[in-house]
Amino acid sequence: MRGVSLELDRGEVVGLLGPNGAGKSSTIRVIAGVLEPHGGRVTIGGRDAVSDPVAARASLGYLPESAAVYSEMSVQGYLSHRAAVLGVPRRERRARVESSLERCRIGDVSRKRTGALSKGYRQRVALAGAIVHDPSVLVLDEPTNGLDPNQLRDARSLIADLAADRTVLICSHVLSEIERVCGRAVIIGGGRVLADAAVDSLRGTGGCVAEVRGVDRLAVEGATVETEPLGDGWVRLVIRGAGPDLRERSGAALASRGAVIRELRDETESLEDVFVRVLESAGDEGPGR
Amino acid sequence: MSATLAIARREFGSLFRLPAGWIVLALFAFLTGVVFAVSGLTPGQPATMRGVFGVSTVLVILIAPAVSMRFLSEESRTGTMEVVLSSPVRNWQVALGKYGAGMAFVACMLVVMVVHAVVLRAVSEPRPDWGPIAAGLLSMLLLGSVCVSLGLLASSLTESQTLAFLGTVLALVCWVLATNVAPAYVPAWLGDALASASVNRRIDDFARGVVDTGHVVFFASVSGLLVFAASVSLGMRRWA
Repeated sequence: MRGVSLELDRGEVVGLLGPNGAGKSSTIRVIAGVLEPHGGRVTIGGRDAVSDPVAARASLGYLPESAAVYSEMSVQGYLSHRAAVLGVPRRERRARVESSLERCRIGDVSRKRTGALSKGYRQRVALAGAIVHDPSVLVLDEPTNGLDPNQLRDARSLIADLAADRTVLICSHVLSEIERVCGRAVIIGGGRVLADAAVDSLRGTGGCVAEVRGVDRLAVEGATVETEPLGDGWVRLVIRGAGPDLRERSGAALASRGAVIRELRDETESLEDVFVRVLESAGDEGPGR
Repeated sequence: MSATLAIARREFGSLFRLPAGWIVLALFAFLTGVVFAVSGLTPGQPATMRGVFGVSTVLVILIAPAVSMRFLSEESRTGTMEVVLSSPVRNWQVALGKYGAGMAFVACMLVVMVVHAVVLRAVSEPRPDWGPIAAGLLSMLLLGSVCVSLGLLASSLTESQTLAFLGTVLALVCWVLATNVAPAYVPAWLGDALASASVNRRIDDFARGVVDTGHVVFFASVSGLLVFAASVSLGMRRWA
């Protein structure tokens, strides 16, 4: 990593994206304290993760990509063990374990051996283990890895629920998940930050598309307009330009020309489009992990 | 300290949540029981546990590394090591917790030998001398401590439990050869230095009922050094 600098505000949900070998997992591991940085610094809640690692890690919950748990232990036993290791006082442990079981919706398997659970349940047990001490910062590496569509929906709602009262950093190669869950996305490539902005602002409005009759040309200030005949007098106008009010301005221009409008919609970029564009402009590779 | 105890408790519990822990303990009880019956309960012979301690030494050298080989290598193999490293605990706490679990298992083995001693006392006339028995039990605990800590260090260096076990046993064999056989073939000053690190001679002293604090300090120091090395090795994973 070279000069990667990230600052997450309290309550923010940030997605970390990047192609294979971009440095995502290294970044996550350095933040989680699994790896020590060769240079630079990491602070969690104002505590330096290198000079005061125990205090810094105490306020952090980490879900590694493998979502590994001790397979010979019961779910409840595992969570009690994690609570003890994570410094939860003995008198609060039972309540914290119950709360984690409830939040991650795994109360029905609390007495089962974790090794006997499905992948989806194990993922939730690992997540419960990461939040059992009620950390203010949650770092999740591929939290939806290997989940089926139902489990994906549950995981998404769980993450949204957890994000309500803590800071969350999610590393994932499933861009649609980041798009749905995160308010901000950071794209890294070649070990440096290539883009860092709110997801909506990253996607921006690439332009708008109108299907109209009665006009075959249109001028919109600050935009270029391409025309494509559709037959029966209808034409599609692809209007490309900047600014959040492009659609309104285009609509006004069409109305002033007396056009019949059957469709006028924003053409927003998907996060995947943004991802590819950012990496291409940085001379990096396409999407993947 | 609570985290260290939690790590020790989980590791110790996992030894008995799997059949392997019970099997090893049962095998130890069976083999020492047979030797005890043959060598310690012979009518007309002095009541002694020297035979049991003799076989126990070999068994501890084999069993302690077998118990400790999984401590850190298993965490690396299954991926739980990342969870451990991200926890608010120091490396030495992890190493000490694992070592504690290994020593608790060695203590379980000693309980078997205490049962032998109690039986010997109940059926022997005259009563056995408790000095050599207590010293022998202490020597098993100290030998177990060195073997567990050496196994812990080996386990911190590889993801393979087999390699960790073989590495530990090989290191112990080399240690025994270097301190007992090699001194006869090297210059006297080097031979004396090597012989002073002999485990066998110290174990023999204990078997005679001699508890030399120097021996206790030797085993404790070696164990402490090895646990410290395992802790450093664990810390080096963060530099990858």
